[in-house]
Amino acid sequence: MLRKLLKHEFRATGRIMLPMYLILLVTAVGSNLAGRGMLDGRYHILNILGVLIITAFGIAICGALLMSFVLMIQRFYKNLLQDEGYLMFTLPASVHQHIWSKLIVSSVWFIVTVLAIIAASLVVAYQGGFLRELLDFLRYFLEGLRKLEVSEAFNGTIYLAEFAVLMFLSLVAFSLQFYAALAAGHSQANHKLLWSVVWFFGIQFALQFAGSLLIIGSNELDVFNRLFSHWDPSPTVAIHVGLLMAIGCVIIYGAIFYAITTFFLKKHLNLE
Amino acid sequence: MPVLECKGLTKRFGRTAALDEVSLTVEPGRIVGLLGPNGSGKTTLIKLANGLLTPDGGYIAVCGTAPGRESHSLVSYLPERTAIPTWMTARQLLDFYGDFYQDFRREAAEEMLDHLGIQPRQAVKQMSKGTREKVQLIMVMSRAAKLYLLDEPIGGVDPATRDYILSTIIGNYNPDAAVVISTHLIADVEKVLDEVIFISQGRVALQSTVDGIREEKGMSVDALFREVFKC
Repeated sequence: MLRKLLKHEFRATGRIMLPMYLILLVTAVGSNLAGRGMLDGRYHILNILGVLIITAFGIAICGALLMSFVLMIQRFYKNLLQDEGYLMFTLPASVHQHIWSKLIVSSVWFIVTVLAIIAASLVVAYQGGFLRELLDFLRYFLEGLRKLEVSEAFNGTIYLAEFAVLMFLSLVAFSLQFYAALAAGHSQANHKLLWSVVWFFGIQFALQFAGSLLIIGSNELDVFNRLFSHWDPSPTVAIHVGLLMAIGCVIIYGAIFYAITTFFLKKHLNLE
Repeated sequence: MPVLECKGLTKRFGRTAALDEVSLTVEPGRIVGLLGPNGSGKTTLIKLANGLLTPDGGYIAVCGTAPGRESHSLVSYLPERTAIPTWMTARQLLDFYGDFYQDFRREAAEEMLDHLGIQPRQAVKQMSKGTREKVQLIMVMSRAAKLYLLDEPIGGVDPATRDYILSTIIGNYNPDAAVVISTHLIADVEKVLDEVIFISQGRVALQSTVDGIREEKGMSVDALFREVFKC
């Protein structure tokens, strides 16, 4: 059922994001052309046009980033908490599947947006010989990788995997903050959006307060020194431990918001 | 086994009891009118049967199971508002229902859409409010469900559309299933009902067959409704 939810969620969001990427690509090509003589000052009209095209590219970058953020919130709000919720919550799918479909799709769009912006920037930067320089860089990079020892290559791969997991979980946790506040706010009878804002800041305050207490308590009890006094890891291991601890923290942080979201959608759903 | 069963079902909103100790059963093969004035608890009961609300007390079961993921595949629900995504085209809507419901009869839905002159590429947002309601009803009635829960299907539409909606319900429901129609427009639905449940201020005031009312009370359901709910 999750697969079907994902299919329709991608269909619902792709109709907005794909044209956004097309605009990004077109303005990137335009900016590339603008950089090839339109801005050299010979013709005033071409100068203005060049500046406008480059400005449009900047706006397209901001628009794509903003749109993936707005879409993340809007899809959860409109598809689950507004009128469409009557259809969605009576499908033979669980609340968990609904939440994961929204989380996965919004995270994918965040990642694709960043990749699209990088690709568009490469298009803007493309000049004669650029492709050769890029290939040279890749060749140099691969040669560097070949010179690595097995342990370095292994650790490097694991670092990348840990970093990718951390990034993905951070995106999920980021989205869940908003989902939790919206789900809690919409359990109220009236002023649902206002209550959502109140819940958002309320949860943030509570978590920061709890986090501060935890850090102060850990310092007071000298927890870290006691834990690590008999352990002196190598820098390689220390980086792994640091990344894994960061992943653990993000999972706990996200799990709190996930629990709040599922609790309100399961037990206190209150569609208008 | 009843397709819908409630025992002592209670739902409160703050201090107000929207449903208070409601007990009723709906058997398969029956078309049941859930009748009551505005605010009597009809929509709350239907939402509880769909798992859109959680009861504060008592018991509710659909085909023997508590409302949830399993019961959703057995119930075809028409909400009182347009819930189909307006950005979808008619074809995408058919895909959507076909993907999620194994009992969805795509050919029947396509035939009804064609009868209304709706093109597969036409987006829901391009349709009039009345057409959207008809399309939503077509999707709901194109399922071979065990229980159809129709919340105010004829509220706010013109008499010709009412006739269309009622004929669509009668012509397409699974005969082994039960149909629950919530409405306060009694005269329009009376002719299609087998049974009625009168609900007043969150309590069941009467559950009887339509024939029983005519024989015992010597009056139509509409006349009895006006007498029971006289202001």
